[in-house]
Amino acid sequence: MTSVNNAGDNEEIHTKETQLLMGNRAVVQGLLEAKVGLTTAYPGTPSTEIQMQLYKLSNKGQLYFEFSVNEKVALEIAAASALSGVRSAVIMKHVGLNVASDPLMALAYFGVVGGMVLVVVDDPGCLSSQNEQDSRFWGKFSHLPILEPSTSQEVKDTIVKAFELSERYNSVFIVRLTNYTSLNTSEVEKNVVEEKMNKDGEFFKDVRYIVPARYVYHKELHGKIKAIRADKEFLGFNELRYSDSKSNKLIVTQGSIFPMVEYTRNFGKLDIAILKVSAIHPLSEEQLCEIIKNYKYIYFVEELESYLEDEISAIIAKNNLNVKIIGKEKLRIPQENKITPDVLLEPFTLIAADPDDENTFRYEEIPQLPFEPVIGREDLLLPRTLPRLCDGCSHRGAFYSIKRATSVSTHILPSDIGCYALGQVSPIEVGDFWLCMGASIGTAIGFSLTNNKPVIAIIGDGTFFHAGIPPLIDAVLYNHNITVAILNNRLTAMTGGQPTPSSNEDSSQNQTPVDIEELVKAIGVKWVKSVRVEDVKENTKLVREAMDFEGPSVMIFNGECVVELYKHDFDLGEPPYVDQEICNHCGICFIEFDCPSIVKVEGRIEIKEETCSACNICVNVCPQEAIIPRKK
Amino acid sequence: MSQNIDNEKPINIAIIGLGGQGVITLTKLIANVSFGLGKKVCYNEIHGLSQRGGSVQSLLRINEAENPVFAAKDADYIIGLEKLETLRYLYLAKGSTAKVIITNKYLIRPTSDLGYEQFPDEDAIMLEIKKHSSELYLFDALGFEENTKTKFKPLNVAVFSAITTFQELGLPTNKAENLVNEYLGRNMIIRQINKKAFKDGSKWLRKLE
Repeated sequence: MTSVNNAGDNEEIHTKETQLLMGNRAVVQGLLEAKVGLTTAYPGTPSTEIQMQLYKLSNKGQLYFEFSVNEKVALEIAAASALSGVRSAVIMKHVGLNVASDPLMALAYFGVVGGMVLVVVDDPGCLSSQNEQDSRFWGKFSHLPILEPSTSQEVKDTIVKAFELSERYNSVFIVRLTNYTSLNTSEVEKNVVEEKMNKDGEFFKDVRYIVPARYVYHKELHGKIKAIRADKEFLGFNELRYSDSKSNKLIVTQGSIFPMVEYTRNFGKLDIAILKVSAIHPLSEEQLCEIIKNYKYIYFVEELESYLEDEISAIIAKNNLNVKIIGKEKLRIPQENKITPDVLLEPFTLIAADPDDENTFRYEEIPQLPFEPVIGREDLLLPRTLPRLCDGCSHRGAFYSIKRATSVSTHILPSDIGCYALGQVSPIEVGDFWLCMGASIGTAIGFSLTNNKPVIAIIGDGTFFHAGIPPLIDAVLYNHNITVAILNNRLTAMTGGQPTPSSNEDSSQNQTPVDIEELVKAIGVKWVKSVRVEDVKENTKLVREAMDFEGPSVMIFNGECVVELYKHDFDLGEPPYVDQEICNHCGICFIEFDCPSIVKVEGRIEIKEETCSACNICVNVCPQEAIIPRKK
Repeated sequence: MSQNIDNEKPINIAIIGLGGQGVITLTKLIANVSFGLGKKVCYNEIHGLSQRGGSVQSLLRINEAENPVFAAKDADYIIGLEKLETLRYLYLAKGSTAKVIITNKYLIRPTSDLGYEQFPDEDAIMLEIKKHSSELYLFDALGFEENTKTKFKPLNVAVFSAITTFQELGLPTNKAENLVNEYLGRNMIIRQINKKAFKDGSKWLRKLE
């Protein structure tokens, strides 16, 4: 719909509207305005809000969206859809693209028919990820173009334009956000779109999609990227700001941190031009040389890797431009962690200084800000506030049983991606190893082959479906002696409660839930038990039994995510209480079980009623039976 | 030089707390009242593991359209829903002019209770906050919560109400109240509680000398 209204009719006027939108929500708005018919994703912060919004829209019937079982499957579905001429989008976090890269690299060769955009959200600072890889490098690797917007408005506009370009060049376009652009909220002018999106397409068979001579398409791909490199609209994403500045210095930065670079420039009252590079790949030598040749000093300000610095330095060298390059290292901008204005303050004092003075960049020792600034006296060092499992978290019951049946020195417990990773840290300490989605089972096999110790893999239901099934098949095939504890809360809790293949509440999506127990048995695991998390004493015995079993064994711990329970009912029942006559202050509930609602008040163990979620697992944990439940 | 057209100076606000306290909601409330008045506004939120009691901060700028993240010593207001976290981020405050609003709330049992880390006592934290604040206000969360006779105690809505009393922020009470009624209205019971919290909220704020 456009802002033009057919004069004289009674229909509601579809107009432009301004609204505060988070970058992630702006992605969805862009997808709607681009009339995208099919969308897929696997949950992952910081991209979650995109997916949740699409999920809601699909429940209302506006477009097709699914939480696919993993990113690879999500990308394959979107690829086939785009090859059938339907505009399609796939959304994932940065590490998801590792999983999806296999189909992506080959899809790049023959391209798409309907527009296809891959939205990938990076997590500099690893706020909710296992690493902070820089997705800009996928561009060169896959020969796919990458765009990187700065603000919510730009996010929306970029998505819309990316679909046009995608269809112009029959190429998948990658839109890269970071946790800065995706989680910032700012003003967006949007077109109200209420129509239902169409996903009817047609796949035209062609020899290019089958086996022969793929190198031909590799050549075609090189030609495509060359053409995109010269596309005026594509290059229009790059912008020279403050070009009226009198200085002979130029700051080169990337779209995703540009607003912070601009803020710091103004904060420090520097009259220097900034080149904002949002068309990350391919870079145009012609465009860049045309701008850079007007300056004498080029400063590179980037988040994470020195991508632009390396690429543009090569361009400068190739074209014999007479400029001095001052890179990240000289400016002392770290190659890791998030960029913030605080991080940029010192580099900007270096940018302001005389670059030809030898002393400007001479520092014996790089002074570092403490990770968490502490004010005041040295004896008042602030303890860190670490995230913990929620009050009433069902994982706590599973962890307690596993902990009772194992010990730190005699067992190896590889863990996986999810809330339950929080169990790795003290005082719970269930989880010794953490790699990537599904890796708990694969690494458990490796540890069991090389260590004379029982090994238990800790994995959630979502992660098990995502990438845990192939290694379990391996364990059955070679009779590897491992135990797998599947913590089944039937949703992806860490990212806010998206459905998994074992969810059964979601009727709106017409899902057929997959039964984990049946699945595991069908794979051929001989020792399988499905239990409730509350039965901690019985479960402790079963964990020991599972470890004693020769060959792979699987124990499924069933429980509910307490955050999900609170979504339906904010009163979960009467908390239990501690019978002070019986309690002998052994500290098991308090320390080993580690419930935040169990507190020590003047030597007495008490249950904090205002935060207790009445999960009542502690009732079974107390060896003295001093914790007494109340009825709901 | 300045990015905003109106040439009004940006007001920088840092809102600090712990997962579950309603930091993000409070930010959204302030942002949307300002936006509703036609002002430029933007904010960010830091989350990830924050739902699980981790540290949550959000930065909000009124009269600025694009970049919500500002540098140390550039905050005009620090709104702290939890004392320890407020102290941690007090370095953001503009030294001589910032207004600091704290609550006397301790929400999460720190892990240090278990003897893993040294934990300063509440008085010491309070003393430090005082020492580093030019203008300090206390929102009596304990008083407010004792007075709220329901299990659900919307501290953030009450603090929001108290904040609207700062004239320089330009948040008209009636607009703010309307927003609370509209924005937080899914469940009827919660809606009533929020409404009441907003009505009573401002009376629990006082300036500390």
